[in-house]
Amino acid sequence: MATSQPPLRAEPGSFRDPANRVFHLGDQVLRGLDEEAAGQWRALAATGFFPALLADGKVCGTEPTDPVTLGQGWTAALRHERIPFVSHPYEWSFAMLRDAALLHLEILRAALPEGFTTKDGSAYNLQWRGAEPIFIDVGSFTPTRVGEPWAGYRQFCQTMLYPLLLGAHLGLDFQPWLRARVDGIEPDQLRPLFGGTRRLLPGVLTHVHLHGAMQRRNAAASTADVRSQLRAAGYSSELAMATVRGIEKLVRRLDRRPAASHWVDYQRTCGYTMDDRNAKERFVAEALTAGARPRLVLDLGANDGRYARLAARHADYVVAVEQDPAVVDELYRTLRAEGERRILPLVMDLADPSPGGGWRGVERASFADRSDADLVLALAVVHHLAIGRNVPLPEIVDWLAGLVTPGGRIAVEFVHPEDPMARRLLANKPEGLFPDYRREEFERSLARRGRISRRRDLPSGTRTLYEVVVGG
Amino acid sequence: MNHLAYLDAGSGSLIVQAVVGGVAGAAVAAKLYWRRLVDRFRRQPTDQR
Repeated sequence: MATSQPPLRAEPGSFRDPANRVFHLGDQVLRGLDEEAAGQWRALAATGFFPALLADGKVCGTEPTDPVTLGQGWTAALRHERIPFVSHPYEWSFAMLRDAALLHLEILRAALPEGFTTKDGSAYNLQWRGAEPIFIDVGSFTPTRVGEPWAGYRQFCQTMLYPLLLGAHLGLDFQPWLRARVDGIEPDQLRPLFGGTRRLLPGVLTHVHLHGAMQRRNAAASTADVRSQLRAAGYSSELAMATVRGIEKLVRRLDRRPAASHWVDYQRTCGYTMDDRNAKERFVAEALTAGARPRLVLDLGANDGRYARLAARHADYVVAVEQDPAVVDELYRTLRAEGERRILPLVMDLADPSPGGGWRGVERASFADRSDADLVLALAVVHHLAIGRNVPLPEIVDWLAGLVTPGGRIAVEFVHPEDPMARRLLANKPEGLFPDYRREEFERSLARRGRISRRRDLPSGTRTLYEVVVGG
Repeated sequence: MNHLAYLDAGSGSLIVQAVVGGVAGAAVAAKLYWRRLVDRFRRQPTDQR
């Protein structure tokens, strides 16, 4: 009797390096290696540094498997640890990008003394296990040759160092830059922002101005020629190591701390009485424990992570999405200090969720395509979308339902038009603009997409919580 | 050349790494430019013939 095999699906984000490619087979993440890459994998597995990085959890779990699973054309195959929720660098906060960059450099520094390097230096080489970065691109390790600088340096600058310079030196959010450009920021794009005395800020003169000038002056020279010229001029392995150490030292110096006053308006929990908060926490805890243990919970509008933490007590993995990069940064730093591995904080505007990006718009999957949550928490966000951003209530409910796996649930809060917070938002809009912003209309929208399994009014009387079984 | 390097490392990006690597690196970069300069003068007379 034939058993139904899940179809083998090539990862759309893994095509740039023809030597190896990532595939999905059901829940499994597999990597095919061609003959040369297979030989390199054997050499890599025999090193001292690679098993140590694996044991420390700094590189994603990797073990050899039968290449037959991948069909024709691959000499060897690897099975990788599954990343609970794939995220993109433009969804990370400043400290997240910095920690990811430091891990990339640490890995390179471990590899170099044993004769290995990484082929590239992209921020997309990294993912997260909660608040802990992991290096996922095992196919990137390759033997190095004496006298060769790091091939990934340019990519490292474009996707990690330059975004960090924007944040640390200019106080700019890098996320829109990275979201708009799959290959990151070019030195020539940064130069106009770093004129005058800003040239003297750490890292700017060399990595931005000199780097840009060198690129222009050497545009006609082939990298093969330059490599042999550098070798002839005495570029050594020690020098390659010194360069990496220098970049690491610079990245460690780069920081961005928001002003303390920034937080005042952001305490979502402050608008609640103690009774309301307790009732809300009870409701959310019940939603988390109502069915089988949730594998993935999305907390939309996570703010300081109060409910994400509650969710993490009952679920395997929680993605805490918040619009303000500074709020996410603070949450990340706290979670990282605690060693939290099951809550992933992400920066994203709920009214403008990450679209698909890169080649054909599928190389970097959209937020919706990545979301198959067992439970979505949408607490104190619907009024912001409906009144603040004019999104019709049925649309909001449709979007929430689309993020949930079949049979999954939504726990959503509706703030009545009479609530002080809703009134404040309504006061900024022309009167009568939102005749449908009513509880009955919201309930009708919920009922169209599922079954309302629980409903609770908070003690203050102007907010109601719903639990909806999608499609139920 | 390492044919497995699928990425264009960028010629300028390779040289600038020498400069970033401190005094020893700057010396390498200077040597590279000096050799290029010498090569150019050496080649010029033959080019003109």
